[in-house]
Amino acid sequence: MTDLTQTTPSPALRWWNLSAVLGRVGLHLVIFLGILAAWEAAGRFGLFNDYLVPRPSRIATAIGRLYVTQGAIYWHFFVTLFEAVAGFLVAAAVGIGLAVASALNESFRRYVAPYAIVLNVTPALALTPIVIAWFGFGWSSKIALGAIIAFFPIFVNTLTGLMETDADRHEMFRSLGAKNRQLFWKLRLPAALPMIFAGLKIGMTSALVGVIVAEFTQATEGVGVLMNRYSFQLDMASAIATLLSMSLMGLLLFTLMEILDDRIVFWRRDARMAAVGKARARRALSWRTKPAAARKD
Amino acid sequence: MNSIAIDRSSAAARPVPARPRVVGGVSAGETVIEARGVTKTFGDGSVVALEGASFEAKKGEFISLVGPSGCGKSTLLRIISGLIPKTGGSLSVHGREVTEPRSDIGMMFQKATLLEWRTAIENVLLPTELQRRVTADDKRRAAELLHMVGLKDFEFAFPRQLSGGMQQRVALARLLQTGADILLLDEPFGALDEFTRERLNVELMRVVAEVGGTTFFVTHNIQEAIFLADRVMVMTPRPGRLAKIVDVPFERPRDLSIQQSPEFNALVSEVRDVLGGH
Amino acid sequence: MSVANDLAVPVGTGLGLSPARARLARNLAIFGTIVVLWEAASRLGLIDPLFLPAPSAIVAAFVSLYVTVGNAWYHLGITLVEVFAGFFAGSALGIGLAILVGLNATLRRFMKPYIIVLEATPRIAVGPIIIAALGFGWTSKIAIVMLVCFFAPFVNTLSGMLSVNEDAREMFRSLGASKWQVFRKLMLPDAMPMIMAGLRLAMASALSGALVAEFISANEGMGVLLKRYTSTLNMDATFACLLTLTALGFLIFRSMELIDERLVFWRSDARAAAVGRRRANAFRSAAIARGA
Repeated sequence: MTDLTQTTPSPALRWWNLSAVLGRVGLHLVIFLGILAAWEAAGRFGLFNDYLVPRPSRIATAIGRLYVTQGAIYWHFFVTLFEAVAGFLVAAAVGIGLAVASALNESFRRYVAPYAIVLNVTPALALTPIVIAWFGFGWSSKIALGAIIAFFPIFVNTLTGLMETDADRHEMFRSLGAKNRQLFWKLRLPAALPMIFAGLKIGMTSALVGVIVAEFTQATEGVGVLMNRYSFQLDMASAIATLLSMSLMGLLLFTLMEILDDRIVFWRRDARMAAVGKARARRALSWRTKPAAARKD
Repeated sequence: MNSIAIDRSSAAARPVPARPRVVGGVSAGETVIEARGVTKTFGDGSVVALEGASFEAKKGEFISLVGPSGCGKSTLLRIISGLIPKTGGSLSVHGREVTEPRSDIGMMFQKATLLEWRTAIENVLLPTELQRRVTADDKRRAAELLHMVGLKDFEFAFPRQLSGGMQQRVALARLLQTGADILLLDEPFGALDEFTRERLNVELMRVVAEVGGTTFFVTHNIQEAIFLADRVMVMTPRPGRLAKIVDVPFERPRDLSIQQSPEFNALVSEVRDVLGGH
Repeated sequence: MSVANDLAVPVGTGLGLSPARARLARNLAIFGTIVVLWEAASRLGLIDPLFLPAPSAIVAAFVSLYVTVGNAWYHLGITLVEVFAGFFAGSALGIGLAILVGLNATLRRFMKPYIIVLEATPRIAVGPIIIAALGFGWTSKIAIVMLVCFFAPFVNTLSGMLSVNEDAREMFRSLGASKWQVFRKLMLPDAMPMIMAGLRLAMASALSGALVAEFISANEGMGVLLKRYTSTLNMDATFACLLTLTALGFLIFRSMELIDERLVFWRSDARAAAVGRRRANAFRSAAIARGA
C-alpha cells in the first residue's frame, strides 16, 4: 500500500525549472531534429509501413488539421480535461474526508480499513463497464471512474501522513497543554501535507487515466473517443496527433499540481523556503517598528 | 531529604532581567516544588520505573538529575511536567498537586521538536498561540527571547536552515515564551557535539538566571550536571530511585575553568561513587 | 524510555479472546451482517438487481462460471498470460534501460526530455494505437501491458541507482573497485528496495493494463467477459468476474510482498535475523568441512 508514495518525481525531472533547461535546449533540439529527419527519410524510402508508423511530416499535417485548420480537438480536449478535474476533485474531497475521519476515530479506522484494502487490490479499471452501466454513457460515468481511480492514492497517503506524526512533537504539544483540535490543525495536518500532496499528484494523473479509459470503453466525446476513432480508421497520424494532446494535458495537470505543491509544502524546497522566509520577515515590519506602547515593565 | 537552600545572594550581581517573568522581590528560599514518595510503576505494578522520590526545590534553584539510562530521571521529569501520571506519592508545584500539563511548568526535549513549516519566531510563538490570540507585544517578546538566546538575525529562518545547536536555541526561546517559571529540560543538548554543548550550557545558565526560573536539567554527563547545578540529584536504576542529593557550592556566574578545580573533581568522585556503588 | 508504554490503552475483550482475534471476530460479524442485510434488501426488492445483484445471485453466477459451465477459466488464463508476459518483458526492459542510463551520464542527459513527456502521458492512452498496429490478438495486449509495466521500474531503478551514498562510492574507489564491481556490489543492492517498489507498482498496474486493453478491443480474456456481461446486463456474472479479479489482485499483491521481503531481507528485522542465522550455519559447516 505504502509503495504508492514512491512515485514522487525527483526534483531533477521538473521540466519547468527553465533556467536549468535552457542551457541544454539547443543540443537537445539538434538531436531531436536529427531523429525526426532520420525517421522521415526512413519513411520516404519505405523502410516503415507508412500506415502503421506514419512519418513526421504526415503527423505534422495531422496536427495542423486537428489543432489549426479544423480545430476539432479543442472541444474534446475540454471535455476530457473537465471530466478529469471533476473526478479528481470528487476523489480529493471524499479521500481526504474519509482519511481524516479514519485518523480521528479509531473504531472507524478499524472497521472501515479492511474494505479499503479490498478496494485497493481490486484493479479499479475493471470497474469501467459497471460504472458505465450505472452512470450511463455521458460525462457522469467518466467523472465517476476518474474519481474511483483517484480515490485510493489520496486516501492512503492522507491517512498514512496523518498517522505518522512523530511522538516527540506530540509530547511537546501535550506539554504545552494543546487541545485535540489544536493538535490536529497545528501539528498533524501540516505534518501530513507533504504526504497528502504526493497522494494528490498521483490522484491527478490517475483521474486522467480513468477518464480516458472510460472514454475508450464507451463515450461520444473526449480525446479518448477521438483516439479510438482514428485508431480504428487506421489513421495513425491523427491518432498520434491526438496522443500529443493527452501528453499535453498530462503535463498541464501534473505541472499544476507541482506548482501547488511547491507553494503549499514550501518548507521542503530550499528556494521556496528562503522566499517565504523573506516575505514573512517583510510583513513583520508592522509589529516590529511600532513603538512598544503597552509594555508593563 | 537533605535539601539545603542555596544562598542566592550572588543573584544580586546578575544583570537585571529584561522582563521579569517571576514576580521579583519574593525572598529566595521559597519552596516551589514539594515531592513526597513519588512513585511510578507500569503494568500491574511489577515494573517499577521510579521508587519513592522525595525532594524539594526552592525558587530559582538549578537542579541536575544525573544517572544512567533506566534510572527514572526522564520519568521523574515527565511526572513533574504532568505529561504522565504518577502511581504513588504526592507532588505539588506552587502548592498545587500536578495532574496534567500546566502553564507554569514548561518543558524542553532532547530533540528540538520544531515545526518545520514555521519560522523560528513562529515556533517561539506556538505556546502563546495555543492559549490565546497572538498580539504584536507577544511577537516583540518572542523576538527579544530569540535575541536573548543569540539568534538575533534568525527570526525568519526555517528550522531546516538552522544548525542543530541553533534549533535547540529556538526550542529554549519557545520554552521561555511559555512564561513558565518551572523549567524542565530533558537532555536538551544531548544530541549536539561536545563544543556546541559546552557553549550552550554556559548560555543556558545565563538565560535561566536572567528569567529567574527554577530549573530541572536531566543529563547522563556527570561533569555537565555538576557544572550547571546548585544541587545534583543522583539517580540509580533497577529500580529507578533517587540515591543522593549533592550540593554544589560554586559561586555564580560560573566559568568553564572551575571544572579543573580539585573541589569540582571531588564532587565528580562523590557522584561517581554513588553511581558506581550501585 | 518506557514513557510511551502507558499511553497504550489495553483492549478489553470480555470474551477471553486475544485483542487481534476479537477484532477479527468483530470484523467478520460486521461483514456477515452486511451480507445478510444486503441479501434481505435484495429479496425485498429494495435494491435493483440490475444495479447491485444479491449475494446469493453472485455466488450462483460464480459457481456457473467456474464449476458447472466453467467458461471463465479460459478467459482467466488468457488474461494471466498477458499480465505475466507483459510484466516480465516490460519491467525487464525498464530495469535494463535504467541501468544503462544510470551508468551513463551523457545518455541520461539526452533521454531526460523524452522521459518527462513519457511520464506525463497516460501510458494506457497509447492502447488503441497499439491495437491498431498489432491487431486484436494477444500480442497487442502483451505490448500494452509491457508499456504500462515499463515506467515504474525504470524510474525507480534509476533513482535508486542515482541515490547511492557518495561516501560508500568513495570507499569502493579507495578499495580499487572496478566500475562493474561498484555496480554489482554497491549500486544494485542499494537500489534493490526501490527496484522492488517499482516492480510492485508495475505488477499492480499490469492487471489493469491487460483489462483495459481487452476493453478496447479483444475476443478473449476477463476484460471481454466483463464487458460482455455488463452490456447484456447480466450483473450477477459481472460481479462474479469482478470478485475473481479482486482475489487475483490480492494474490498478486501478497506474493509481491513476500518476494519483496525475501529479496530485500535486510529491511525487515525478522527476515534479517533468519538470513543471518542461515549464513552463520553455512559458514560454520564450511569451517568444519575445511577442518575435517
